[in-house]
Amino acid sequence: MFAAIINLNGHAGYVHWGFIDLSVPNLIVIVAMFVVFLIALVAPFPGHRRRGRS
Amino acid sequence: MTYRERTRAIDAAARHWDGPYRPYDLIKEATIAVTIVGLIAVTLAILFSSPDEAPTTIRSWSRQNPVDFVSTAMGELDGTSTTAEYGPPYDHGPKAQHLAFIHLQSWLGIAHPINTAQDYVLGPLAALPGQPALRSALATYRRAGSARQLAWDHAYERALTKVADSATAIRAVHGPNLGPVPTLMDSLLSFAQGGGLDGALLANRQFYSTDYTKILMLLADGGALASRARAEHLLGNQWGMMNETGSFPGQGWLWLYTMWYQIKPFSTSPNADIMVMAVMFVLSLGFVLVPFLPGVRDLPRLVPVYRLIWREHYRSTRP
Repeated sequence: MFAAIINLNGHAGYVHWGFIDLSVPNLIVIVAMFVVFLIALVAPFPGHRRRGRS
Repeated sequence: MTYRERTRAIDAAARHWDGPYRPYDLIKEATIAVTIVGLIAVTLAILFSSPDEAPTTIRSWSRQNPVDFVSTAMGELDGTSTTAEYGPPYDHGPKAQHLAFIHLQSWLGIAHPINTAQDYVLGPLAALPGQPALRSALATYRRAGSARQLAWDHAYERALTKVADSATAIRAVHGPNLGPVPTLMDSLLSFAQGGGLDGALLANRQFYSTDYTKILMLLADGGALASRARAEHLLGNQWGMMNETGSFPGQGWLWLYTMWYQIKPFSTSPNADIMVMAVMFVLSLGFVLVPFLPGVRDLPRLVPVYRLIWREHYRSTRP
Protein backbone atom coordinates (compact mmCIF):
# COMPACT_ATOMS: atom_id res chain seq x y z
CA MET A 1 0.00 0.00 0.00
CA PHE A 2 1.45 3.36 -1.04
CA ALA A 3 0.51 6.74 0.42
CA ALA A 4 -0.45 9.51 -1.97
CA ILE A 5 2.28 12.05 -2.75
CA ILE A 6 -0.29 14.82 -2.31
CA ASN A 7 -2.86 14.00 0.39
CA LEU A 8 -6.40 15.11 -0.53
CA ASN A 9 -8.18 13.47 2.39
CA GLY A 10 -8.50 16.75 4.32
CA HIS A 11 -11.65 18.90 4.20
CA ALA A 12 -12.23 20.93 1.04
CA GLY A 13 -12.98 24.64 0.88
CA TYR A 14 -16.37 25.78 -0.49
CA VAL A 15 -17.42 28.78 -2.54
CA HIS A 16 -20.88 30.19 -1.73
CA TRP A 17 -22.69 32.37 -4.25
CA GLY A 18 -26.41 32.79 -3.61
CA PHE A 19 -27.84 29.30 -3.47
CA ILE A 20 -24.76 27.89 -5.23
CA ASP A 21 -22.38 25.93 -3.00
CA LEU A 22 -19.37 24.71 -4.97
CA SER A 23 -16.31 22.89 -3.65
CA VAL A 24 -12.94 24.38 -4.58
CA PRO A 25 -11.74 21.05 -6.15
CA ASN A 26 -14.85 20.98 -8.36
CA LEU A 27 -14.31 24.65 -9.25
CA ILE A 28 -10.70 23.90 -10.26
CA VAL A 29 -11.85 21.03 -12.51
CA ILE A 30 -14.59 23.18 -14.11
CA VAL A 31 -12.14 26.04 -14.78
CA ALA A 32 -9.64 23.51 -16.20
CA MET A 33 -12.36 22.16 -18.52
CA PHE A 34 -13.08 25.68 -19.83
CA VAL A 35 -9.35 26.31 -20.33
CA VAL A 36 -8.95 23.05 -22.30
CA PHE A 37 -12.04 23.96 -24.37
CA LEU A 38 -10.64 27.42 -25.18
CA ILE A 39 -7.23 25.93 -26.08
CA ALA A 40 -8.99 23.41 -28.35
CA LEU A 41 -10.74 26.32 -30.09
CA VAL A 42 -7.72 28.51 -30.72
CA ALA A 43 -4.77 26.06 -30.96
CA PRO A 44 -3.87 25.27 -34.59
CA PHE A 45 -4.34 21.70 -35.82
CA PRO A 46 -1.05 19.81 -35.67
CA GLY A 47 0.49 19.26 -39.12
CA HIS A 48 -1.56 21.95 -40.88
CA ARG A 49 1.42 24.14 -41.60
CA ARG A 50 3.46 21.13 -42.79
CA ARG A 51 0.72 20.02 -45.16
CA GLY A 52 0.02 23.52 -46.33
CA ARG A 53 -3.27 24.66 -47.73
CA SER A 54 -5.12 22.20 -49.91
CA MET B 1 -36.69 35.24 -49.47
CA THR B 2 -37.92 34.34 -45.98
CA TYR B 3 -35.60 33.17 -43.22
CA ARG B 4 -36.96 29.62 -43.55
CA GLU B 5 -36.37 29.56 -47.32
CA ARG B 6 -32.87 30.93 -46.85
CA THR B 7 -31.88 28.29 -44.25
CA ARG B 8 -33.47 25.57 -46.41
CA ALA B 9 -31.28 26.68 -49.33
CA ILE B 10 -28.17 26.53 -47.10
CA ASP B 11 -29.14 23.02 -45.94
CA ALA B 12 -29.63 21.87 -49.55
CA ALA B 13 -26.27 23.35 -50.60
CA ALA B 14 -24.48 21.59 -47.72
CA ARG B 15 -25.67 18.16 -48.82
CA HIS B 16 -23.16 18.14 -51.65
CA TRP B 17 -19.46 18.93 -51.08
CA ASP B 18 -17.40 20.28 -53.96
CA GLY B 19 -14.38 21.27 -51.92
CA PRO B 20 -11.13 19.37 -51.34
CA TYR B 21 -10.85 16.11 -49.33
CA ARG B 22 -8.03 15.16 -46.99
CA PRO B 23 -7.12 11.79 -45.43
CA TYR B 24 -7.83 11.32 -41.71
CA ASP B 25 -6.40 8.42 -39.67
CA LEU B 26 -9.03 7.73 -36.99
CA ILE B 27 -7.11 4.78 -35.46
CA LYS B 28 -3.97 6.91 -35.07
CA GLU B 29 -6.01 9.74 -33.52
CA ALA B 30 -7.77 7.36 -31.05
CA THR B 31 -4.45 5.67 -30.11
CA ILE B 32 -2.80 9.01 -29.35
CA ALA B 33 -5.84 10.21 -27.36
CA VAL B 34 -6.13 7.01 -25.27
CA THR B 35 -2.37 7.00 -24.60
CA ILE B 36 -2.33 10.62 -23.45
CA VAL B 37 -5.43 10.22 -21.26
CA GLY B 38 -4.00 6.97 -19.81
CA LEU B 39 -0.71 8.67 -18.92
CA ILE B 40 -2.56 11.59 -17.30
CA ALA B 41 -4.75 9.15 -15.30
CA VAL B 42 -1.75 7.15 -14.04
CA THR B 43 0.16 10.32 -13.13
CA LEU B 44 -2.83 11.77 -11.23
CA ALA B 45 -3.36 8.42 -9.42
CA ILE B 46 0.31 8.40 -8.32
CA LEU B 47 0.10 12.03 -7.18
CA PHE B 48 -3.30 12.07 -5.47
CA SER B 49 -4.35 8.41 -4.92
CA SER B 50 -8.10 8.02 -4.22
CA PRO B 51 -10.54 8.74 -1.33
CA ASP B 52 -9.84 6.53 1.66
CA GLU B 53 -12.55 7.01 4.30
CA ALA B 54 -13.04 4.60 7.20
CA PRO B 55 -16.48 2.96 6.82
CA THR B 56 -19.34 3.62 9.21
CA THR B 57 -20.58 0.28 10.53
CA ILE B 58 -23.42 -0.55 12.91
CA ARG B 59 -20.71 -1.62 15.37
CA SER B 60 -18.93 1.75 15.27
CA TRP B 61 -22.22 3.70 15.30
CA SER B 62 -23.68 1.80 18.28
CA ARG B 63 -20.43 2.30 20.21
CA GLN B 64 -20.14 6.02 19.47
CA ASN B 65 -23.84 6.97 19.76
CA PRO B 66 -25.65 4.19 21.64
CA VAL B 67 -28.75 6.33 22.33
CA ASP B 68 -29.10 7.21 18.65
CA PHE B 69 -28.71 3.53 17.74
CA VAL B 70 -31.34 2.36 20.24
CA SER B 71 -33.72 5.21 19.29
CA THR B 72 -33.38 4.18 15.64
CA ALA B 73 -33.97 0.53 16.56
CA MET B 74 -37.15 1.59 18.39
CA GLY B 75 -38.30 3.39 15.23
CA GLU B 76 -37.78 0.16 13.32
CA LEU B 77 -39.69 -1.79 15.98
CA ASP B 78 -42.73 0.49 16.14
CA GLY B 79 -42.78 1.17 12.37
CA THR B 80 -42.07 4.91 12.45
CA SER B 81 -38.58 4.92 10.88
CA THR B 82 -37.90 6.37 7.43
CA THR B 83 -37.46 2.86 6.01
CA ALA B 84 -40.71 1.64 7.59
CA GLU B 85 -42.63 4.51 5.94
CA TYR B 86 -40.62 4.63 2.69
CA GLY B 87 -42.93 2.55 0.51
CA PRO B 88 -41.72 0.48 -2.46
CA PRO B 89 -39.30 -1.15 -3.16
CA TYR B 90 -39.05 -1.97 0.57
CA ASP B 91 -42.55 -1.96 2.08
CA HIS B 92 -46.11 -0.64 1.87
CA GLY B 93 -45.19 2.59 3.70
CA PRO B 94 -47.29 5.70 3.06
CA LYS B 95 -44.55 7.96 1.70
CA ALA B 96 -44.20 6.56 -1.84
CA GLN B 97 -43.51 9.47 -4.19
CA HIS B 98 -45.81 10.41 -7.04
CA LEU B 99 -46.33 13.17 -9.59
CA ALA B 100 -49.99 13.85 -10.41
CA PHE B 101 -51.32 10.51 -11.68
CA ILE B 102 -47.82 9.01 -12.06
CA HIS B 103 -47.25 6.66 -9.11
CA LEU B 104 -44.01 5.25 -10.48
CA GLN B 105 -42.65 4.07 -7.11
CA SER B 106 -45.82 2.11 -6.33
CA TRP B 107 -46.12 0.74 -9.86
CA LEU B 108 -42.64 -0.82 -9.67
CA GLY B 109 -43.69 -2.82 -6.58
CA ILE B 110 -41.83 -4.25 -3.61
CA ALA B 111 -38.68 -5.76 -5.07
CA HIS B 112 -36.58 -5.76 -1.88
CA PRO B 113 -38.97 -6.37 1.04
CA ILE B 114 -37.91 -5.10 4.47
CA ASN B 115 -40.07 -5.72 7.55
CA THR B 116 -38.25 -3.32 9.85
CA ALA B 117 -39.42 -4.80 13.17
CA GLN B 118 -38.69 -8.37 12.12
CA ASP B 119 -35.52 -7.78 10.07
CA TYR B 120 -33.76 -5.27 12.33
CA VAL B 121 -34.90 -6.22 15.85
CA LEU B 122 -36.97 -9.35 16.44
CA GLY B 123 -35.32 -11.57 13.80
CA PRO B 124 -31.66 -10.97 14.78
CA LEU B 125 -32.54 -11.32 18.49
CA ALA B 126 -34.44 -14.59 17.90
CA ALA B 127 -31.34 -16.01 16.15
CA LEU B 128 -29.14 -15.47 19.23
CA PRO B 129 -28.41 -18.77 20.99
CA GLY B 130 -29.09 -19.30 24.72
CA GLN B 131 -30.13 -16.23 26.78
CA PRO B 132 -33.37 -17.46 28.39
CA ALA B 133 -34.27 -13.94 29.64
CA LEU B 134 -34.13 -12.63 26.07
CA ARG B 135 -36.13 -15.59 24.78
CA SER B 136 -38.82 -14.95 27.39
CA ALA B 137 -38.89 -11.21 26.58
CA LEU B 138 -39.25 -11.97 22.88
CA ALA B 139 -42.12 -14.36 23.54
CA THR B 140 -43.86 -11.80 25.77
CA TYR B 141 -43.49 -9.08 23.12
CA ARG B 142 -44.74 -11.28 20.29
CA ARG B 143 -47.74 -12.49 22.33
CA ALA B 144 -48.88 -8.96 23.22
CA GLY B 145 -51.38 -7.13 21.02
CA SER B 146 -50.22 -4.26 18.84
CA ALA B 147 -51.78 -1.64 21.15
CA ARG B 148 -49.87 -3.04 24.10
CA GLN B 149 -46.66 -3.23 22.09
CA LEU B 150 -47.04 0.41 21.01
CA ALA B 151 -47.67 1.51 24.62
CA TRP B 152 -44.42 -0.21 25.72
CA ASP B 153 -42.54 1.22 22.73
CA HIS B 154 -43.67 4.80 23.34
CA ALA B 155 -42.99 4.60 27.07
CA TYR B 156 -39.47 3.30 26.40
CA GLU B 157 -38.85 5.99 23.75
CA ARG B 158 -39.91 8.69 26.25
CA ALA B 159 -37.57 7.23 28.89
CA LEU B 160 -34.75 7.11 26.34
CA THR B 161 -34.90 10.86 25.72
CA LYS B 162 -33.86 11.48 29.33
CA VAL B 163 -30.73 9.30 29.52
CA ALA B 164 -27.08 10.14 28.85
CA ASP B 165 -25.48 8.84 25.64
CA SER B 166 -23.89 5.72 27.11
CA ALA B 167 -24.62 1.99 27.10
CA THR B 168 -24.61 1.97 30.94
CA ALA B 169 -27.32 4.65 31.07
CA ILE B 170 -29.42 2.77 28.52
CA ARG B 171 -29.15 -0.49 30.47
CA ALA B 172 -30.40 1.36 33.57
CA VAL B 173 -33.72 2.18 31.86
CA HIS B 174 -36.32 -0.08 33.46
CA GLY B 175 -39.87 0.25 34.67
CA PRO B 176 -43.14 -1.64 34.99
CA ASN B 177 -44.74 0.19 32.05
CA LEU B 178 -41.95 -0.73 29.63
CA GLY B 179 -42.73 -4.45 29.41
CA PRO B 180 -40.00 -6.57 27.81
CA VAL B 181 -38.63 -3.69 25.65
CA PRO B 182 -35.59 -2.86 27.88
CA THR B 183 -34.44 -6.51 27.73
CA LEU B 184 -34.84 -6.52 23.92
CA MET B 185 -32.96 -3.26 23.46
CA ASP B 186 -30.17 -4.15 25.92
CA SER B 187 -29.57 -7.39 24.01
CA LEU B 188 -29.72 -5.66 20.63
CA LEU B 189 -27.26 -2.98 21.77
CA SER B 190 -24.79 -5.61 23.05
CA PHE B 191 -25.17 -7.59 19.82
CA ALA B 192 -24.58 -4.47 17.71
CA GLN B 193 -21.62 -3.26 19.76
CA GLY B 194 -19.98 -6.66 19.33
CA GLY B 195 -20.35 -6.44 15.54
CA GLY B 196 -22.90 -9.27 15.33
CA LEU B 197 -25.70 -7.17 13.85
CA ASP B 198 -23.51 -6.12 10.88
CA GLY B 199 -22.99 -9.79 10.07
CA ALA B 200 -26.61 -10.79 10.72
CA LEU B 201 -27.95 -8.14 8.32
CA LEU B 202 -25.42 -9.03 5.63
CA ALA B 203 -26.05 -12.78 5.72
CA ASN B 204 -27.89 -14.18 2.73
CA ARG B 205 -28.08 -17.33 0.67
CA GLN B 206 -25.18 -16.42 -1.62
CA PHE B 207 -21.59 -17.45 -0.92
CA TYR B 208 -20.34 -13.88 -1.35
CA SER B 209 -22.43 -11.30 0.52
CA THR B 210 -22.59 -8.12 -1.47
CA ASP B 211 -26.09 -6.88 -0.64
CA TYR B 212 -25.62 -4.10 1.90
CA THR B 213 -29.17 -2.72 1.49
CA LYS B 214 -30.45 -3.59 4.97
CA ILE B 215 -27.34 -2.27 6.72
CA LEU B 216 -27.38 0.95 4.71
CA MET B 217 -31.10 1.53 5.30
CA LEU B 218 -30.64 1.06 9.06
CA LEU B 219 -27.64 3.41 9.09
CA ALA B 220 -29.59 5.96 7.04
CA ASP B 221 -32.50 5.85 9.53
CA GLY B 222 -30.09 6.87 12.31
CA GLY B 223 -28.09 10.06 12.70
CA ALA B 224 -24.54 8.76 12.24
CA LEU B 225 -24.50 8.58 8.45
CA ALA B 226 -26.26 11.94 8.02
CA SER B 227 -23.86 13.68 10.37
CA ARG B 228 -20.82 12.32 8.50
CA ALA B 229 -22.41 13.26 5.17
CA ARG B 230 -23.15 16.79 6.43
CA ALA B 231 -19.53 17.25 7.52
CA GLU B 232 -18.36 16.20 4.03
CA HIS B 233 -20.96 18.34 2.16
CA LEU B 234 -22.60 15.20 0.76
CA LEU B 235 -26.23 15.83 1.73
CA GLY B 236 -28.80 16.42 -0.99
CA ASN B 237 -29.38 20.03 0.14
CA GLN B 238 -25.61 20.72 0.03
CA TRP B 239 -25.21 19.95 -3.70
CA GLY B 240 -23.91 16.63 -2.34
CA MET B 241 -24.58 14.70 -5.54
CA MET B 242 -21.63 16.42 -7.22
CA ASN B 243 -19.27 16.36 -4.23
CA GLU B 244 -16.68 13.84 -3.12
CA THR B 245 -15.20 13.13 0.31
CA GLY B 246 -12.11 15.06 1.38
CA SER B 247 -10.61 17.49 -1.12
CA PHE B 248 -11.16 15.29 -4.16
CA PRO B 249 -13.15 16.70 -7.08
CA GLY B 250 -16.55 15.05 -7.42
CA GLN B 251 -19.10 14.44 -10.15
CA GLY B 252 -19.31 17.96 -11.59
CA TRP B 253 -21.38 16.73 -14.53
CA LEU B 254 -24.30 16.09 -12.13
CA TRP B 255 -24.65 19.83 -11.42
CA LEU B 256 -28.00 20.11 -13.19
CA TYR B 257 -29.50 17.12 -11.35
CA THR B 258 -28.42 18.36 -7.91
CA MET B 259 -29.28 22.01 -8.64
CA TRP B 260 -33.04 21.35 -8.62
CA TYR B 261 -32.85 20.02 -5.05
CA GLN B 262 -31.58 23.43 -3.88
CA ILE B 263 -34.55 25.47 -5.12
CA LYS B 264 -38.30 25.52 -4.48
CA PRO B 265 -40.60 23.69 -5.04
CA PHE B 266 -38.16 20.75 -5.19
CA SER B 267 -36.31 21.59 -1.94
CA THR B 268 -39.52 21.48 0.13
CA SER B 269 -41.51 18.80 -1.68
CA PRO B 270 -41.88 15.23 -0.37
CA ASN B 271 -42.02 14.19 -4.04
CA ALA B 272 -38.74 15.92 -4.99
CA ASP B 273 -37.11 12.85 -6.55
CA ILE B 274 -39.84 12.12 -9.07
CA MET B 275 -40.23 15.85 -9.83
CA VAL B 276 -36.50 16.18 -10.58
CA MET B 277 -36.66 13.00 -12.68
CA ALA B 278 -39.55 14.48 -14.68
CA VAL B 279 -37.75 17.80 -15.27
CA MET B 280 -34.56 16.03 -16.37
CA PHE B 281 -36.57 13.73 -18.65
CA VAL B 282 -38.15 16.73 -20.39
CA LEU B 283 -34.77 18.50 -20.71
CA SER B 284 -33.09 15.33 -22.01
CA LEU B 285 -35.89 14.89 -24.53
CA GLY B 286 -35.32 18.47 -25.68
CA PHE B 287 -31.60 17.72 -26.08
CA VAL B 288 -32.32 14.62 -28.18
CA LEU B 289 -34.77 16.60 -30.32
CA VAL B 290 -32.41 19.57 -30.96
CA PRO B 291 -32.40 18.96 -34.75
CA PHE B 292 -36.18 19.40 -34.78
CA LEU B 293 -36.48 22.46 -32.51
CA PRO B 294 -36.68 25.70 -34.52
CA GLY B 295 -34.34 28.33 -33.15
CA VAL B 296 -32.28 25.89 -31.08
CA ARG B 297 -31.21 23.98 -34.19
CA ASP B 298 -30.10 27.28 -35.78
CA LEU B 299 -27.67 28.11 -32.95
CA PRO B 300 -24.56 26.85 -34.84
CA ARG B 301 -25.44 29.25 -37.68
CA LEU B 302 -26.13 32.14 -35.31
CA VAL B 303 -23.05 31.44 -33.13
CA PRO B 304 -20.52 30.15 -35.69
CA VAL B 305 -17.93 28.65 -33.33
CA TYR B 306 -17.14 26.10 -36.07
CA ARG B 307 -15.69 28.91 -38.17
CA LEU B 308 -13.16 29.58 -35.41
CA ILE B 309 -12.15 25.89 -35.24
CA TRP B 310 -11.88 25.54 -39.04
CA ARG B 311 -10.59 29.08 -39.55
CA GLU B 312 -7.74 28.02 -41.85
CA HIS B 313 -10.20 26.31 -44.17
CA TYR B 314 -12.55 29.30 -44.27
CA ARG B 315 -9.58 31.66 -44.76
CA SER B 316 -8.50 29.57 -47.77
CA THR B 317 -11.99 29.61 -49.30
CA ARG B 318 -12.38 33.38 -48.92
CA PRO B 319 -12.56 35.01 -52.38
